[in-house]
Amino acid sequence: MTAAIDIRGVTKIYNPGSNQPVKALDDVSLTINDNEFFTLLGPSGCGKTTLLRLIAGFEQVSGGEIMLFDDEIENLEPNRRPVNTVFQHYALFPHMTVAQNVAFGLERLKKPRPEIKATVERVLSLVKMKHLADRRPNQLSGGQQQRVALARALAPSPKVLLLDEPLSALDLKLRQAMREELKQLQKETGITFVFVTHDQEEALAMSDRIAVMSEGEVQQIGGPTDIYEHPLNRFVADFIGDTNFLDGEIVDLNEDLVTCRIGEQSMFEAENSGGHRVGDRVTLFLRPEKIRLSTPDDAVSTESRPGTVANIVYLGNQAAYTVDMGDGVELTAQARPREDGKLPFAVGDSLAVGFSARALRVLAQ
Amino acid sequence: MSNWLPKSAAGRRWLGLAPSYFVIGIFMLVPMVIMGVFSFLEPNPYGGVKPVGSLDAYVKLFFEYDLEDNLVFNPGYLNIILRSFQLSFGATLLCLIFGFPVAYFITLQPENRRNLYIYLITIPFWTNLLIRTFAWIIILGRGGVIETPLLWAGIIEDSLRMMYTDGAIAIGLTYSYLPLMVLPIYASLEKLDFRLLEAASDLYANRFEVMTKVVIPLCKPGIIAGCILVFIPCIGAFIAPNLLGGGKKLMLGSLVQFQFASARNWPFGSALSMLLLSAVVVVLIFYARAAKKREAMEGTA
Repeated sequence: MTAAIDIRGVTKIYNPGSNQPVKALDDVSLTINDNEFFTLLGPSGCGKTTLLRLIAGFEQVSGGEIMLFDDEIENLEPNRRPVNTVFQHYALFPHMTVAQNVAFGLERLKKPRPEIKATVERVLSLVKMKHLADRRPNQLSGGQQQRVALARALAPSPKVLLLDEPLSALDLKLRQAMREELKQLQKETGITFVFVTHDQEEALAMSDRIAVMSEGEVQQIGGPTDIYEHPLNRFVADFIGDTNFLDGEIVDLNEDLVTCRIGEQSMFEAENSGGHRVGDRVTLFLRPEKIRLSTPDDAVSTESRPGTVANIVYLGNQAAYTVDMGDGVELTAQARPREDGKLPFAVGDSLAVGFSARALRVLAQ
Repeated sequence: MSNWLPKSAAGRRWLGLAPSYFVIGIFMLVPMVIMGVFSFLEPNPYGGVKPVGSLDAYVKLFFEYDLEDNLVFNPGYLNIILRSFQLSFGATLLCLIFGFPVAYFITLQPENRRNLYIYLITIPFWTNLLIRTFAWIIILGRGGVIETPLLWAGIIEDSLRMMYTDGAIAIGLTYSYLPLMVLPIYASLEKLDFRLLEAASDLYANRFEVMTKVVIPLCKPGIIAGCILVFIPCIGAFIAPNLLGGGKKLMLGSLVQFQFASARNWPFGSALSMLLLSAVVVVLIFYARAAKKREAMEGTA
């Protein structure tokens, strides 16, 4: 597999030498493969957009290097880098029509006129905007502008397409539709996509691989399932999806399982990910959807424990239950409404709370 | 509500605007009408006009009477008008060349420093234009700030004779009206979304193309406004032409001033002013048409 972008020990410091230097990226190394949908995911201020801007050439690295298909691009101006960007607020040229916007990059590359015309038509039909080619950006809706921005960045056939939170300004329905389209587009064009977002759902739905970032550092790189099911640390587990965290101490372990004491005397077994010792302070994590709630009489599993419903948050297709397990331990679990729309349990109900030891994982502190 | 107020909304609106109509009427329309009327009267040799209708002032713009009292074409005044347009055009161009980078530079500054720069730009307006133009005599003139060191260093052997040339007038005009170019361009550059510049360079535009394809088209309204604001006072200017052009190389403005002050030919001065006015109105109509067309093309947001 060829590397499209190889980021080696990149550090970025804003305002160096001033009395308020800001370290946006701290020794970041990662490799983005050719023909991959790669997502940089993290909360605002984590450095993901900075990394994208470094690749595009709008900012200069303070240390380290960025290779694009094995070429050093550090000293190239943005207009000499074979990458294109879809900007968060589209940045369409307001004085040009849709077609002129899309043709802009091709014209700068001095492509012959017939080729430009053909490419503009092809790319505009790819994003289903051909019928609006003569409109101006301010005559288009947000979703349409988004498509034009996409077409404009795709038209010069860049080696890598950089997308800076392109869906964040769209409403929910449109965002969901665009997710699928983007993924489809990436497959069709075979261009490497580097997608920046703070929306974990977006990242999980589209990406081949995800780099989770926080405070200028990469926390974990992996496929969507890896990231969701096997987070390396508490930050990743917390940032992606809803999670129960249980802080405790390892009291026993064998090859498969570790036994932890949570609270005063509650014992929880979890998968042994290796490298643990008795006496270690650890955090266990458990996804809410891995917990089965049932009434005590229906309990089938021997692994189930008693609990009491402490709180319910109704979400329509499901409800989030806060269950008091005693000993100061609370778990969040999910349950679907019954067919008549009623919720299966009420506040104060006694429950059997079932989960297998394999659903619990030990996180590094 | 008091019953003396007009009943209809339109009437009340008219009443509210009445002070503005009054001011515009007294201070703009009346003098212009007087000027228009004077241009069709005969001059009084002691100044002012005689209440006798005459088209002489307009005839004099293009013709003169030869020794046998025949009307013959006289390009003298036409040449002055032409020169005025040329010089004003040149000065406007110079203002644009010097003013645009200044405005662009200010836009790139941190926000808190921009106001300071704008403030500095307006400083020359605090002093009388006449005095500031005099300063240019010291700069450009014989034994002036430019010549003296060059002579002393032996780079030149004789005076550069910069004074009393078209160049001197153009410099004077450029100096006088440069702020009027910088301010509107700054106003439109300030609204420019600088992410568009990034987008352009991302799409393979080099620095020059970013300027010509994105920045300049988008601040065209500011550039046009600046050009109009500079061109119009230039064409009517008389201080710079009189002081730096030595009064020999006349411009339209100085010619008008001369008719009222020295030649005592008020109707001819008025006729020249009417010509100037019509020229300006024609320029503005073209501008308004172009602006309307552009708006229609770009659609409404």
